[in-house]
Amino acid sequence: MASILSPTTSGYSPRRKSRFSRYVIFGLLVAATLFYLAPVYVMVINGLKDKSYMTLAGMWNLPRDLGGGGFPVAWEVLSPNIWASLRMVIPAAILSSLLGAVNGYLLSKWKFRGSDIIFTLILFGMFIPYQAILIPLIRTLDLVGLYGSWKGLVMVHVIYGIPIASLIFRNYFTNVPSELVEAARIDGAGLIQTFFQIMLPLSLPAFVVVGIFQFTNIWNDFLFGVTVVFSPADQPVTVALNNLNGTNSVDWTVVMAAAVLSALPTALVYIFLGRFFIRGLLAGSMKG
Amino acid sequence: MAISSPALPRDVVVAPPTSRRVGFSLERILSPLLLAPSAVAIFIFVYGFIGYTFYVSLSNWRSAKPDLSLRHPVGAVYGDLFGQSRFQIDLRNTVVFTLFFLVMAVLGGLALAILLDRHIVGSGFFRSVFLFPYALSFITTGVAWSWIFNPETGVNLLINATGVNDVLATYGVGPLKPGWITNPEVAWQLNQPIAAIYPPAAEWSLKLGVPLAMIPVAIAAAWQLSGFAMAMFLAGLGTISQEVREAAALDGASDWRLYKDVIIPLLNPITVSVLIILTHVSLKIFDLVFAMSGKGPGFATDVPGIFVYEMIFRAQRYNYGAAAAIVMLVGVSIVIVPYLARQLKTL
Amino acid sequence: MGANLQVRALSKAFDNTVAVDDVSLDVSPGEFLSLLGPSGCGKTTTLRLIAGLERADDGEIVIDGREVTNVPPQRRMLGMVFQQYALFPNLTAYENIAFALRVRRQSKSEVARRVGELLAVVHLEDAAGRYPHQLSGGMQQRVALARALAAEPPLLLLDEPLSALDAAIRDELRTELRRLQRQLELTVIYVTHDQAEAMAISDRIVVMDRGTVNQIGSPQELYDRPATRFSASFIGASNRRLTTVELVDGEPTISWGTARLPVTPNGAVNPGSTVLAVWRPEAAAVSALLPESAVTAAMPSALRGRIELVTFLGPITRLDVRVDGDDEPVLVDLVSAAAAHLEAGQVITVTVPPDAIRIYT
Repeated sequence: MASILSPTTSGYSPRRKSRFSRYVIFGLLVAATLFYLAPVYVMVINGLKDKSYMTLAGMWNLPRDLGGGGFPVAWEVLSPNIWASLRMVIPAAILSSLLGAVNGYLLSKWKFRGSDIIFTLILFGMFIPYQAILIPLIRTLDLVGLYGSWKGLVMVHVIYGIPIASLIFRNYFTNVPSELVEAARIDGAGLIQTFFQIMLPLSLPAFVVVGIFQFTNIWNDFLFGVTVVFSPADQPVTVALNNLNGTNSVDWTVVMAAAVLSALPTALVYIFLGRFFIRGLLAGSMKG
Repeated sequence: MAISSPALPRDVVVAPPTSRRVGFSLERILSPLLLAPSAVAIFIFVYGFIGYTFYVSLSNWRSAKPDLSLRHPVGAVYGDLFGQSRFQIDLRNTVVFTLFFLVMAVLGGLALAILLDRHIVGSGFFRSVFLFPYALSFITTGVAWSWIFNPETGVNLLINATGVNDVLATYGVGPLKPGWITNPEVAWQLNQPIAAIYPPAAEWSLKLGVPLAMIPVAIAAAWQLSGFAMAMFLAGLGTISQEVREAAALDGASDWRLYKDVIIPLLNPITVSVLIILTHVSLKIFDLVFAMSGKGPGFATDVPGIFVYEMIFRAQRYNYGAAAAIVMLVGVSIVIVPYLARQLKTL
Repeated sequence: MGANLQVRALSKAFDNTVAVDDVSLDVSPGEFLSLLGPSGCGKTTTLRLIAGLERADDGEIVIDGREVTNVPPQRRMLGMVFQQYALFPNLTAYENIAFALRVRRQSKSEVARRVGELLAVVHLEDAAGRYPHQLSGGMQQRVALARALAAEPPLLLLDEPLSALDAAIRDELRTELRRLQRQLELTVIYVTHDQAEAMAISDRIVVMDRGTVNQIGSPQELYDRPATRFSASFIGASNRRLTTVELVDGEPTISWGTARLPVTPNGAVNPGSTVLAVWRPEAAAVSALLPESAVTAAMPSALRGRIELVTFLGPITRLDVRVDGDDEPVLVDLVSAAAAHLEAGQVITVTVPPDAIRIYT
């Protein structure tokens, strides 16, 4: 904000003529905001409408009252799946962060012959279309008795979360001076002691970033949720929402409200911890 | 000030003389040893499973009961797959979707980043709004957009509100009411022009053109991912020094030239990364389409992701599902492997 | 009591670049040894090999009679201070110093006692609870030193520990380091590229160049009798010219500008061969000449030149003198009192005693 008063401090230096262009830019940004918020607006206001007066023709109109609209029913239908999602997402996000921290530490500070190649091979795992591993995945889960259980889903997310978590941690640890590890070694600490006493405490910011990023990713997953778990009460919320949307007997106020509810946890994380989320996103996409 | 120097306990000070080679080598294998669980898991769950899927794609497994006998001739499943009109449509749809989606998401993201680069009041708020969709699931997005692009409501209400249709009615022309995701039409067909040069093309059953229902889906996807492109471009813009901008300004470059000739070329590496990442997302696209329009009318919005899902979980034609998944994987690999190889060199 | 250290035929290459090539050292207990050389000379790699942070390709390292070439650093019982301090940012000054003791599972009371002592030694009693980012550079380096000494290692390695500090703090810490080393009778290996620092602090200096040991000796020896061209040009200020030796009246001389200076080579030198002649700025004597009058012989045995610059350096004054027929000025250092009457533009005669000119073939 200060840049408006002191033009040379950052980004772009406006010249005299730019007062007009600033209004134009502001107008464009407001227009873009309307576009980006339109679906959110549609979901929220129609979720809040009562089905008695919700019509297709009145989609853009505001609700007449604040009676809760479709939300009570949507909560009733969806809450088991919201809990199921939480039960599954939280351990999965924590476990994949822990694995990522160990891997990132080893791949940045304890490189060995071939470790960069192994890292690259691991990274490839985050780009594959998961359709290409579904058949053997399900057979394997079946074999170990985890097919259909939410624990199996946790395991799947932990394993396929290894690449992204390792990448973010590796990038983080690469920026921690190697001298810290060397100093710890000279002082008598080995690989494991150095990790627990120095690197792990230092990696708290990376834990926040990876934890939030993985929370969002795993919460938003649909393919694994719909294929690995089949008991309706254990299915993650994305699957439940999709089922609800496909059911003709349910009125739309409930569907809209359900869409809002299903998005709420990640939306809240984004709103309150957005900067960590952005860091994860940029770290996860690697540098140029 | 003297430091008393009691000797440390002996067992600490003196390492056993046997530690000659053991020490280093133990430590050297500790790192790979601790990495092994993750590495092995990935090798099984990614590479092993891909191998298995590939094997299934060559097999006779076409029912609930696994049948891993190889189908003869080898690769016949792929021949059948590419011969299937639905899969041909899927490939066409993927290409169309990717093009529309990339143009919208990348240009949109770049435009937003440049607008925000000006440090207008509230840019933090705007940035958060534009990136917000990225935090939502494709399913939520798909549900919301399926209502907006429902021909009976949503966007068409807005079109009516502009009064266009009243004007059209006075001329006796039907109302402008696009079918959006329900529109089965394939526009801008290339079959005839191609047939003029290459006659057998007249016989193709696949309509080479733009399935109009795909466009709303691409808009929804661009809505969701343009914020990612914006964030990447903003990060890139942040690294362009003030001196570069000032030097250009002193040279008398207009804003337009500053961006066109200086800043956007400097963003090239970022643009390449954004294109690669978004292209691979586009080739994998599944949940969004699944929730928004499904297969669409006449497979107008069908994509390989949905095809695989239905082949495996609905039709239980595992070999076809596996083959289509391998085709998806090959597509993604063509984009991603060079990218990763380049990353490896800079490690 | 400090350890003794033997390094025998140590070699290390990185990706086909030889960093350390056949280096051998013998360090006595309680000795302060500096590894001196320009960047890339292999001094830091040598130190890291001794520390165990790099693995030697060849050769061996023996500390107090124990061969440690393949022992990991945490079991070599060393202390090390890094250029950028490398303090653990998540630990306080106290905890940083205590780290080595805790890792070695010392009792709580023993840790407290020892850390208390060390904090006193480095004058940081008041900073015990502060985190590294709350400390100045000098204080951080003191903590780093205390941390390195915590486990009472008989061998302390220092990798340019003062180079990141301001000049004033650098001098102060250097003195303190030397005092501490004497007091604890530590064996110290000290890496630096700053020859003045090495001169001031070391018992012996190892001059390194391109991965090899160029010369080992006391500061005095290195200064007075640099054994090689490299040492001669690297250590101390000097006047150097490539020139040829010729016999004049049976006595060896070299040409310097239009002058011809008698020399006394310490080894056999073939007349006509190209050599490097080196003399120290303080070795010469100066006499003022009346302008243009006293040019005697065609080939004078003293340098005649015009003063270009007079630089007052406190106890001494440095003259930049443009010698007749010479491309660049020579440096002459005089006791300031003796230079009081000299000023730029004046023409003077510079006399260099023959035995002050060292000849390198």
